[in-house]
This record gives sequence, C-alpha cells and structure tokens, in this order.
Amino acid sequence: MTSAPSRTPGTASRAPALDPADAAERALRHQKVRDAMAEEGLDALIAFAPGWRRENVRYFTDARLTGTASFVLFPASGSASAEVCAFSTRRADLPALRAAGWVDHAAVLDAHDPSALTEPLRDLRPRRVGVAHLELLPGLLAEALRRALPDAELVSASALMDRVRMVKSDWELARMRRSAAVCAAGWQAFVDVLEPGLPEYRIVAEVEAEIKRLGAEDNFMLIASGGDEVRGMTAPTPRSLEAGDMVRTELTPQMDGYWLQICRSAVVGPPSDGQRRSFDLFNESVEAGMAATRPGVTAHDVAKAQNDVFRKYGYGEYCTSKYTRVRGHGHGLHLDETPIIEGNETVLPENAVFIIHPNTYTPLAGYHVLGDPVRVTKDGPEVLIATERKLFHSDKGSSAGRAGAAGAPAGAAEEPGTPSGKESAA
Amino acid sequence: MKRGLVVLDPDEVPTEEWAERVGGLQSRLADERVDLALVYGDVFASDDIAYLTNLCIYWNEGVLAVPADGEPVFLTKLSPRVHPWMRRVSTVSRIESGRQFGALAAKLAEGREAGTVGLVDAPLWPEPVVAELRAALPGWELRELPGLVRERRAVPSPAEVALLRTAARVVGEAADTAAGAVLGTQDRVATVERIVRGAGFLDVQVNTADATDGAECVQVTGQYRTLWVHASRIAGGAGTDWAGTLQDALDRAVAAARPGATGADLAAAAGPALDRLPAGTDAQVTWVGQTDLASAGEYRPATADTPLAAGAAVAVTVDALLPGGGYAALADTVLVTADGPERLTAAGSAADGEAATPAASGHDTTSTNGAARPDGRSAQ
Repeated sequence: MTSAPSRTPGTASRAPALDPADAAERALRHQKVRDAMAEEGLDALIAFAPGWRRENVRYFTDARLTGTASFVLFPASGSASAEVCAFSTRRADLPALRAAGWVDHAAVLDAHDPSALTEPLRDLRPRRVGVAHLELLPGLLAEALRRALPDAELVSASALMDRVRMVKSDWELARMRRSAAVCAAGWQAFVDVLEPGLPEYRIVAEVEAEIKRLGAEDNFMLIASGGDEVRGMTAPTPRSLEAGDMVRTELTPQMDGYWLQICRSAVVGPPSDGQRRSFDLFNESVEAGMAATRPGVTAHDVAKAQNDVFRKYGYGEYCTSKYTRVRGHGHGLHLDETPIIEGNETVLPENAVFIIHPNTYTPLAGYHVLGDPVRVTKDGPEVLIATERKLFHSDKGSSAGRAGAAGAPAGAAEEPGTPSGKESAA
Repeated sequence: MKRGLVVLDPDEVPTEEWAERVGGLQSRLADERVDLALVYGDVFASDDIAYLTNLCIYWNEGVLAVPADGEPVFLTKLSPRVHPWMRRVSTVSRIESGRQFGALAAKLAEGREAGTVGLVDAPLWPEPVVAELRAALPGWELRELPGLVRERRAVPSPAEVALLRTAARVVGEAADTAAGAVLGTQDRVATVERIVRGAGFLDVQVNTADATDGAECVQVTGQYRTLWVHASRIAGGAGTDWAGTLQDALDRAVAAARPGATGADLAAAAGPALDRLPAGTDAQVTWVGQTDLASAGEYRPATADTPLAAGAAVAVTVDALLPGGGYAALADTVLVTADGPERLTAAGSAADGEAATPAASGHDTTSTNGAARPDGRSAQ
C-alpha cells in the first residue's frame, strides 16, 4: 500500500547502446514477432506477465522483473515514433529495465489506473490487438484495456508467442548451456547431501543455496522419497530419508531467464534389484525418445517412442492419464513449453529445446524420474547436460558408505551394479 | 516459487481455528445471500486459499469452492496424483482435478438448485476464467464479492502471531547475515536460501539491487506456513550518508506505525530524514499488510489514508531510486500494537528468541509431523 506518491515520475529511458550481439538478438526477435503479427493481422501486441508467467515480457526486455504484473507494448510498425515500452507494477524493476536497455521506455504501472500503458496504446489507434497471456489477465486490467480501446478487437497472442519462442537462436542456446551447467551442479549438490535422517526440505534448501551461489535466478523443483509406494512428486515434505529410499527430483534452475531441467533418481545406499530394473526401463525409454528426435517430427512421435518401450515390456498402462502421460516438455523462457505427449501434433523444428522424461510410476520401484534436455539438430538430439544418465546412489550413513569411507568421497558414488537386463523389466 | 515445506500442525494452528476461518466466511456469505463462494489462486498468489485450508498451489491454478453451508471443495488443474499429499497437508477432503474450471464447476453444481455464486476479489480473477464459469453455470447468478477472505486475514490470530514471530526471526537473521558479511551478490542470495528454506519455509523471494557507492540492497520475502514476512537491508552502505539517512527514515516510519496511523502519517514521520537524501532521489514510504506481501501490495488500492489496524502485521518500507540509477530499500515487518510498533524482523531479534534457528545453530528440532521449528520449541 503506497503511503506517499513518488517525488518524481517513475520512468526510465533506455540505457546506452546495446552490445552488438544483444542488439542483433533484439532485432531478430522484433522481426520474428512482427512477421507473426502480420500473419495474424495484429496492429499491436501486448505481452502480459503475471508473477508466474513472465516469459513473454522477458523476451522483449531481457530483464529480470519482479513485479506482480508487467507488460510490454509492442507496435506492429517499426517506425521511430512507435516505441517499445515496458511497464511494471514494481518500481524496483525500473533500474533492471534500464540496465538491460532492450526497451525504449519504461514506467511504473498502477494496476488500478494503468494509464501509463493504455494511453500510448490508444495513441497507436490499433484495430486488432494481440495480448499474450490474455487467458491470465485479471478483469481489472482487461477492463482498462477495453475502456481504452472500445472499438478494437482484443485477441490472445499466447500461441503466437509460444511459436515465436520455440526456435532458439545461437544467442539463446549459449544461455541455455549455462543453465545446463547449473543443472548439473544442482544435481551434484542434491546427491552430495543425501543421507539417512535428512528431511526432504533440507535437501531443497541445500540445492537452492548451491544453484543460487552459481547465479540461478529461480528454480522449480519437485521431489519425492521413499520406496515402491511413491506415486508422484510434490513440494518437499518433512519426511526424513531412510536407507534404501529412492529420492527423485525434477530440478529446473533458471539462468539469465532460461529454464532447463534435469531429472534423476538416486538411492540412499545400495540400489535394490527392482530399482536397477526400473532404471533400465526408463533409460531405454529415454534413449528411444532421443532416437526419434529430429527436425520435423511431432511431439506425439517423441512421446510415442518413449511409451512404446513401456508397452513392449507390459507397462503401457503407466503411461496413461491414471498415472503420468507427459513424456517431456519444451524449455526456454518458460520452463514448461510444448508438452511432449501423445496426441500433440506440434512439429518440432531444428533448434527447439525440450526435455525427454518418461517419469511415471511403475510397480518396479515406484515413481521413477529420469530425463535429459536436448536440442533438436539435423543430426539428431544434442544432449545439453553433462550429467551421466545412471542410477545414482549415496553411501553416506550406510554400511557401504562406512566401508568405503576411507577411499571414496562421500555421496555421488558411482553405480557399481551390472545392468540387470531389459527383458527382466517385464 | 513455492517449493518449500508445507505443514499442517494442530499444535501450530488448532483444528478449531481452521473451522472458524471457513465458518467466518460462510457467515459473510449468508449475509450477502450467496450460496457458493469461489476463491481463485495461482502459484504466485494463493494466500486466501491457504488461509482457509492450508492448501499449497505449488504450480498452476486452483479455485476453492466454499458453500454457504458445508465443506469446501478444491478445484484444480493439478494432477490427481497429488491429491493424497494435498489431503495430508490441508483441511480439504474433496479435491477435483480437470483441465477447465468451467467443467469442474459444472460438476460441482450438479444436483444443486441454481443460486448465487460469489467471486471473491473478482477484479483479480483472470477474466477468461470468469467467462468460462459463467458459461458453465447457466441459471446461476454470478456476483462479484470484495476481498472477504483477505479482510479476515488482516489481523492475525494469536496462533498466527506466534508463527509470524518465528518467521520474522528467521527472515531478519537471514537478511542481516546476507547483508552483514563481505559477500558477492550470489553468495548473499545463497546465504538467505540456506537459512530460510533450511528453517522450513514454504517460499522465499530474494531480490538484490545495486544501489550506489558500491552498496547493494538485499530484499527478503519469506512465506512460513501461510504467513509472510519481509525485511530489506543494505549491504556495504554503512559508511554512506544516504544509507544512514534511509535507515533514519525507516526508523521514524516504523515508530509512527501505531493503530489508526495512515500511510500519510508514516510518510510525514519519515519526511525530515527523506529530505536529507541526495538531490534527485526519488524516495517513498510504503506499508503492505502481510496478507498482501506475496504481491507486495501491488494489487491493493494505493491510498494514503488507510489506517493501520490494531494487531495487524505490516511491512514498512522506505525505498529510493537513487541519482545515477541505483535502487535501495530498507524494510522491516512490524506488529502494530496498542503499546506501539513491535519490529519483528529487527536486528538482534533472533538473539532475543529462545534459540537460534536450526540452520544457524546446526541443531534440528521436530514438530509432531517431523517439521523443523525455527524457534527450537517442541510440539510434544
């Protein structure tokens, strides 16, 4: 609640010229968006970002914003008079916008009087306006847009922006590779702390601290520990780890705006036969998904390849909606882009990035989590993380760990077992 | 993002208090002649739903349906696979999952006589969701309701105050530690994450900003159970005139945070200090109720004349856009009491408590369901 107005208007103008690579990336984005807008007959585009979906605003600003609501106003015309403007309900975001320097003008937005946005929008006299995340726009703000443009048509531009963002540039891929390095470090921190008696939420605290130390801006993370009874993952619980538990996680740090995920499972102590067989099944499924990945295939194709492995061994029912259907999803400025799921006929283009993860429950060892993020290339998938795909285990606190304490570092022990054979998974 | 600990502990919030929260809303519904209230939440802002049920929307969206008489039902886009966990950590027994709220609401309305549906805090609902519900509930009147739940949250109960004190000690200590040591920006954030999440918080948001003169602003907002606290500190600015002046302004604003005082009163109290800030500084004084800290109060009407309620917990902030483009903020969470403001996140408050946090002390204590208690007390 504001107690006193600011003494000067909360505005910021663009910083000095961008680095040439950044300038080229911004120009590329503007062109891609304008081309898509032309196809859909849009005179202006508004990117709206609620607190949990800031990807489209980030695409235009390259700034880490924190406001409850933020916007970018992007005109179809590239003329000098048609500036790209950004708005946030949080004035602390203004220095970030200015420092990034990707927009021509930035200002604080009052959610109850959003004239800072609606007045320049009205000046554009648009007839058809696309709003990215119109589906999430609060009535308070939607009504203000309609009042400002009583004769204009407001349509969703969410799908348009999803398409525009799907193919990653070299500039973006460089950032995603930095995210990949943090994924690997986060997983290492995860394995390093596993020991009997440790509560799940303390694992999360240690992982968060490590990836933030490395520069992660945010993280999405699900976790579950236990045995065959585990059916899915959630936020962490106070449950303390026990010897023999399998600890599963989806770990998704965000670096420089870009999210990337690693999915792994680790055992506290020596893995059981069921856990080994489960790993083999899931690993074969991941491999099948990767073998199907090339430009022009659909999300359905990649999901089906993974599910066929489960079906081959008699575990097909665990790929249904009763358990988990999603076999991966796109990555980028949003962590959960195009779903990799049977029935999704979205074509995967070259330089799309997504994770292949057949995570689901089976009776072999309960919910299992395994997956790698990949880039689609003409030569097949490029796996973006260096972390080995294996069934990790920790020896800390176990008899094996005590026996090996003199020679081996604690945690992150190599999986010593011989693969149990894929046939046995059936 | 919500990826921390979710706990339902009757030793922290008695079972009857949860029932009273829903009952209080239902009384208002009777007054308003509303048959069914719907409360919307998403992963970013779902505190009304958490207040009523302890549900955590860790991803996506949800709608809590509260009938004028009967048990609440949670409608969610989250998978049924997480229903067992949701039931375990909340007071809700019926949860319905689906891809569209309209279909879920229609299913809920089956067999009921059409009546009036009230949308709590309607202007903040995504407009398409409202349209979807309207289409799915033919014959029902959809009516906008004000922030009935948030109003009830404004003055915390004694149980909530106890939790707030605990939370504030942790957040205050984390902010002090992160800002007090010679650390890089990322290490400051890591320090806060380890302390706050390690103490069993559900959520923590750490923002840093470059100020000027090499100083850095560290802002910590944490959610412990269903409650929020906030503290902001300046690192490396102790020797600068403007940082001391900003601290003086915050001290004056906090001292003015008494029942009935308005935002304008806080600003007036801080004014003499703010006037000493460097020319060109754009400074302001704000307060945000802990009920609105998830969104920093940005969806609340920006009025200067709203009085502080006795018993409310609020974050008082003095922030400044500094000449040259830097940003700095100082803030503490304050309990507004008849005897004056109690600064919950003040420096040294951790030392005043019964014990240091488990993260800081290296000791872990557990509650009835095994959750760590940052204040070290036992639920046994």
